Amino acid sequence: MSKTVTLAHGAGGKQTSELIHEVFESHFKNPLFTADDAAILEIEPGKLAMSTDGFIVSPYEFPGGNVGKLSICGTVNDLSCMGAEPLYLTCAFVIEEGFPMDKLEEIAAAMEKTAAEAGVRIVAGDTKVAGKGQVDGVFITTTGIGRIRDGVRTGGALAKPGDAVIVTGDVGRHGCTILLARNEYGIEADVDSDCAPLWGTVSSVLDASDDIHVIRDATRGGVGTVLYEIAEQSNVGVRIEAEAVPVDDAVKGVCGMLGLEPLYLACEGRLVIIAPREEADGIVEVLRKGKYSGNAAIIGEITEDMPGKVVMTTEIGAETLLPQPGGELLPRIC
Amino acid sequence: MAEGNKVSAREIIENYRGPKLRIMEVCGTHTHEIFRLGIRNILPENIELISGPGCPVCVTPVGFIDEAVYLAQKCGCTITTFGDLIRVPGTEKSLAGARSEGAKVQPVYTPTDAVQYAEEHPDEQVVFLAVGFETTTPSACLAVRMAKDKGIKNFSLLTANKTMTNAYRALKGSADAFLYPGHVNAVTGADSCAQLVDEGIYGVVCGFTAREILTALAVTIRGLEKGEPFFRNCYPRVVTDEGSISGKKIMEEFMEPCDSEWRGLGVIPQSGLRLRSEFAEYDARVKYKLPEMKGKPNPACRCGEVLQGKCTPADCKVFGKGCTPLHPVGACMVSNEGTCAAWYAYRRENINE
Amino acid sequence: MCVGLPARVVNIKDGMALVDASGARRQVSAELIDELDPGDYVMVHAGVAIAKITADDEEETDALLGEL
Repeated sequence: MSKTVTLAHGAGGKQTSELIHEVFESHFKNPLFTADDAAILEIEPGKLAMSTDGFIVSPYEFPGGNVGKLSICGTVNDLSCMGAEPLYLTCAFVIEEGFPMDKLEEIAAAMEKTAAEAGVRIVAGDTKVAGKGQVDGVFITTTGIGRIRDGVRTGGALAKPGDAVIVTGDVGRHGCTILLARNEYGIEADVDSDCAPLWGTVSSVLDASDDIHVIRDATRGGVGTVLYEIAEQSNVGVRIEAEAVPVDDAVKGVCGMLGLEPLYLACEGRLVIIAPREEADGIVEVLRKGKYSGNAAIIGEITEDMPGKVVMTTEIGAETLLPQPGGELLPRIC
Repeated sequence: MAEGNKVSAREIIENYRGPKLRIMEVCGTHTHEIFRLGIRNILPENIELISGPGCPVCVTPVGFIDEAVYLAQKCGCTITTFGDLIRVPGTEKSLAGARSEGAKVQPVYTPTDAVQYAEEHPDEQVVFLAVGFETTTPSACLAVRMAKDKGIKNFSLLTANKTMTNAYRALKGSADAFLYPGHVNAVTGADSCAQLVDEGIYGVVCGFTAREILTALAVTIRGLEKGEPFFRNCYPRVVTDEGSISGKKIMEEFMEPCDSEWRGLGVIPQSGLRLRSEFAEYDARVKYKLPEMKGKPNPACRCGEVLQGKCTPADCKVFGKGCTPLHPVGACMVSNEGTCAAWYAYRRENINE
Repeated sequence: MCVGLPARVVNIKDGMALVDASGARRQVSAELIDELDPGDYVMVHAGVAIAKITADDEEETDALLGEL
């Protein structure tokens, strides 16, 4: 097979089937992976969750993962947040002409590995090739179906005054990793993306408590954005302790150099969990034993006052609003 | 912070009951930290903090953005800049607007990175937007020296560098005392502000941690209470009396004083720096024969009065309505350090939209 | 106006210092400071070490408050 992806690989002929055969099928092979126009699935009765997401990341590989791993984690985590065990995924690729075949192979391998870990099966796929410059490397869209656990109902509108706010780990790692990987600012730091499939994390939490109100993964815009979304959807206030928010030292250092706030940097393996205060310690205890949530922490509470706002208790004990995130993330230097 | 029977900075601030005090934090990073830490929320009513003109992005005039947009779009230059400037509105558009129309705009961490970019992209004409005060200006001078030493011809500066001393004089009546910007003084030295006492300009050099800001405020309050002329360096771990001699020397070597326009404040004599004529080949205005650009600020915008403490952002008709961080009208809404942006981000009440 | 970050000097060569701020490392200009050694702490602004840091803020503020 050629060393790079060519427009012929997207033309539907021999090269297309070669690409599908040698790169995708060899990694995604399972009894349900369809050679036909659609996959046929048997699903137990119950409530289903379904989600779709597009993944574009520059650079497409970074410390701690690549766009392939990200594309599985993103959809798996979206399903998991609804209390749904991820079952099936489909994936659609748009690949830039000239993309190195060995890198595509690595991306597919990462997808295989991550899907296996998450216990989800890839059942259908699509490949398109776009001309040079029409896309940046490779774009992947994944769509997933999961089965919601009996009796579980989570949602952004379900936070209640008195609930505790938990994060499952240190914040801002993925965003910081990507910023460094672009190498625009000449800064080096040992930071890996937190990108991870979180069904295991969610199911352990659902086992520990049957009264979870909100689970949301903090992706674009970071934990700060998620807290504002929940405050608005639930029409409640959120109060967080600035010093309780776990942040990796190196992430702090990078943010200090560039004048950025870790609470607004993207995560790809962190959840915000909201549950009654009396459940919170037990949940954190379980989380801290988990593979991807060793430094989980309670960072605040849901309040009746200041609905729609996120208030922060600062290091001097004063209160201030967490500024609402928005706009392009630009370093503040002078 | 309270140890033994020593009175804490916070107690001095919270328990102040004397006549009304107006204290101007000059530096945008102070504004940002004061909001971030919630310090305004612990002040008694009779202490007013005014956010001064120490955010270079905020005081950069509209015409400067127009010049940068002209260089990008008419001259085909690659604009390299500190990230904060990208969204500042010009007369017609910001650099972000120009970028969406195809202009090349590249944020950098330091001006010498822009020189490196020029070296790596010999086909592009690279211009660095040199804004900032004495803290930042040496880095722009180092960039010119690096370009000169390496024989890099496709690099130049569009300068809007400013110096603080005459700005303090211009703002003398706006506040009872200044919290001086510690990192400017790190370069210029504490003496540069100590000398202003003779002109009736008082204040303290202020650091940037919570402790340092609270302590500087407490020292200022005690100083004003005594009613005598005062100056205090409250940041001696970073700021020496004379500052950075090498830093001042390199500015002197490459730049010379000039009159400078401050957005909202107008032209302050001898408050700017421009490249000396022997470095004209690195001066984008000379190199590209830039026409003079006056720039037309939005007439509804009251950034100028905000910067002088004559009104608060809430007094401005467009604040929070036509002017928000996502769609800034005035420069004070653009930078996170800007007074309006800080007011907007930390406002407690919803603005009637 | 001038975001500054305290960082430790790791090494110095040809007027440039490699500095480390809790794990974030970057080359910065060391030319504004006359005497600088590895292990010193500096205030970094926009790629330039603008000053040596000679104490921590607690010592400094305690001393200032002691005078009031």
